[in-house]
Amino acid sequence: MRSLLRQCTLLMLVVFLGVTAAACGTQQGAATDGQGTSGTATGGTDGQGTSGTATGGTSAVAGLPAECSNVQLEYWNPFSGPDGPFMGELAERFGAETGVQVAMTSINNNNPPGGYYTRLATSQASNLLPDVAIIHADQVATQAFRNVIRPMDDLVSEMGIDGGDFPEAVWNAGEVAGSRYAIPLDIHPMTMFYNQEALQQAGLSGPPTNAEEFEQAAQTATNDETFGFMLTTGFPIQQIFQQMLHQFGGSEFNEDGTEATWNSEAGVQALQWMKNAQEQYGEPNLEVDAELNAFRSGGVGMIWNGIWQTADMTGEGVEFQSGATAVPQIGPQPAVWAGSHQLALPAQSNPDPCKEAAAALFIRYLIDNSVEWARAGQIPASNNVRASEEFLAIEPQAAIAPSVESAFFPPSVPGITDAFLPMAEAVGAVMSGNAPDIQAALDDSVARANQILEQNRQNFGEAPSQ
Amino acid sequence: MATSATRSEVAPRSTPRRRQFSVTPYLFILPHLVLFTLYLGYPFFYGLYISLFQFDYLRPERTLFVGVQNYLSLFTPGSVEYQTFWNALGNTLEFVLYSVPLLVVLPLGLAVLLNTKLPGRNIFRAIYFAPWVLSVSVVGLLWWWIFQSQGGLINYYLDALNLPEPRWLSSLPWAWVAIVVATIWWTVGFNMIILLAALQDIPGHLYEAGAIDGATGWQMFWRITLPLLRPILLFIVVISIIASFNLFGQPYIMTGGNPQTPSGGGGTEAVMMRIYDEGFRRSRQGSAAAMSFVVATLMIIVSYANFRLLRQREE
Repeated sequence: MRSLLRQCTLLMLVVFLGVTAAACGTQQGAATDGQGTSGTATGGTDGQGTSGTATGGTSAVAGLPAECSNVQLEYWNPFSGPDGPFMGELAERFGAETGVQVAMTSINNNNPPGGYYTRLATSQASNLLPDVAIIHADQVATQAFRNVIRPMDDLVSEMGIDGGDFPEAVWNAGEVAGSRYAIPLDIHPMTMFYNQEALQQAGLSGPPTNAEEFEQAAQTATNDETFGFMLTTGFPIQQIFQQMLHQFGGSEFNEDGTEATWNSEAGVQALQWMKNAQEQYGEPNLEVDAELNAFRSGGVGMIWNGIWQTADMTGEGVEFQSGATAVPQIGPQPAVWAGSHQLALPAQSNPDPCKEAAAALFIRYLIDNSVEWARAGQIPASNNVRASEEFLAIEPQAAIAPSVESAFFPPSVPGITDAFLPMAEAVGAVMSGNAPDIQAALDDSVARANQILEQNRQNFGEAPSQ
Repeated sequence: MATSATRSEVAPRSTPRRRQFSVTPYLFILPHLVLFTLYLGYPFFYGLYISLFQFDYLRPERTLFVGVQNYLSLFTPGSVEYQTFWNALGNTLEFVLYSVPLLVVLPLGLAVLLNTKLPGRNIFRAIYFAPWVLSVSVVGLLWWWIFQSQGGLINYYLDALNLPEPRWLSSLPWAWVAIVVATIWWTVGFNMIILLAALQDIPGHLYEAGAIDGATGWQMFWRITLPLLRPILLFIVVISIIASFNLFGQPYIMTGGNPQTPSGGGGTEAVMMRIYDEGFRRSRQGSAAAMSFVVATLMIIVSYANFRLLRQREE
């Protein structure tokens, strides 16, 4: 018995050490992003010392009040993937150019889902919020009402940022109850990835852009070896449904976001289209990400997923010729689902005016230089940056970019993401064959969403408390 | 030192000893009591308290007393909470039914096998026990890749053998098979080690006596091993039920609660996932606390029934 226990303890120790070593390995790997910036923070000071711009570390920074010196910014974002280093480099460059050092932390928001916002919320509760943070467009209202971010109307004019420089929908997503809470940095739209060989075999010179071309491509690419087009039963089918809903002239909610409306005729049409597409060109009951894995192994002609998959689905990510482009317009209206990363100021209890001024500088810098961020696989939100020659040279981002003008965003209402849960359930149930009656499934989910919207109104009230 | 001093003082007056107050035993349980109060006692009562409120820890100004409303909506057919909560609780009970028998029988079989003089048995013990030290995210991802449909290990071989390829992660009942298999692989070793330790405590002379009386191996298992293991087996049943009730990470990572059902809620969504969503994604911690208490009540009833059973069998 004792020897058994000793064996087990020993074994556990060994395995734990192994696991810890592995964890340390990944942590070190992950830390390169974070330390890239904080590491250069010190590197930057050295650089300053030698170049002589800073004497004794009390450099005045252009654009900052004179009394501000040695300002450091803490910057949080959810860029824990390959996009992190791109952002880290931008933050580093900002530090080198202005002397304001930025310590960047990237927090995974996919595993667990919403982990980034949980971290922000708990930091708010313990008064450890950063100075600048990325907030997704559909989270701006919720985070504003939960006192995680604060209004910045005064700063916007000070920064010289003009709402006219952004597509209207994405700019409006940063406004809550009449106040500005966030500035859009990028737009990441639904994107079509296509297998060039499969399309060529189908006799098409380029990717389809409308319903007829899409059907022709999907039809011919559906053969013994490949599927034409693949829809799963998980992410992003809800987003594809939203996109088709808008393309058929519908909308998820009424204008003020008080009622769910996706059980409209357009909604039924949209979901019916998806169900038909799944039956004709794909296969049923696929788990989340199955379409990505199938595409990479060359088993499917076309898939729709977020633009952030570009690196994995094109170029060296696959062993065949493939491309990424704007999603085709199937219905009568142009519409594309998109998310947007927006820059916001966390609601610290006693904001430091120096840090606030530096944060404003930093935000302006990121918007102006968002062409660098575009290289990470994003479309800049600023119209001027999107029109710049530098951006137009970046492919496939430049090819996808025109579609963001028809990007739509949910109404700026707190807790709006909750109201999408019943939609995801209905779409998932239909696509996994558990709900044969599309209208009934949508009606049912709308009824639940309306309950949730009503609960949220009670829960959040009319306006943020500050 | 303090103990021996107290004992020598107390020893002569033997009859009233039990009545006399001694601080020593309380000092012994104090460290655990402090931790228990801090991390279990206080949160328990605080949870009970916030379950009576509309509550979000970030918006104290919006805290609103709602009485038993949070509980009422769980028992009002047609409400969002009712539909999704009972769906998730039903799923969890289903999982308990599938997993607990396997989590008792398989470890017992393994423990008996690995208690024999098998060559290399220490290696086998280590192999079966090793997965238990992994975190649930590692286990979930590992099995996700094994079960996934596009070239996953299992469907690859099923395809090679021309067998049907179920969608393990996105259709029922296969999703439960996948989750149960992953859970068993992950936790079977822990139950096995406990049973193995108990097996080694069974005196060898009982088997010798059995052998002299001409009992077969099978008879010895039923007449000697099993009766003597009974208290440990029942303990294993109790902890396995509690652990299975707390199902969270495996479906969270492997299926995301899919496939969805038309009436709301996923086919493999566990009740802990629903509570987490309610509390942290929807920021309705009052309602989430109420859900937790309904589940806790159920678990207390089940555990009580188990302990009653345990006591009866011991008598």
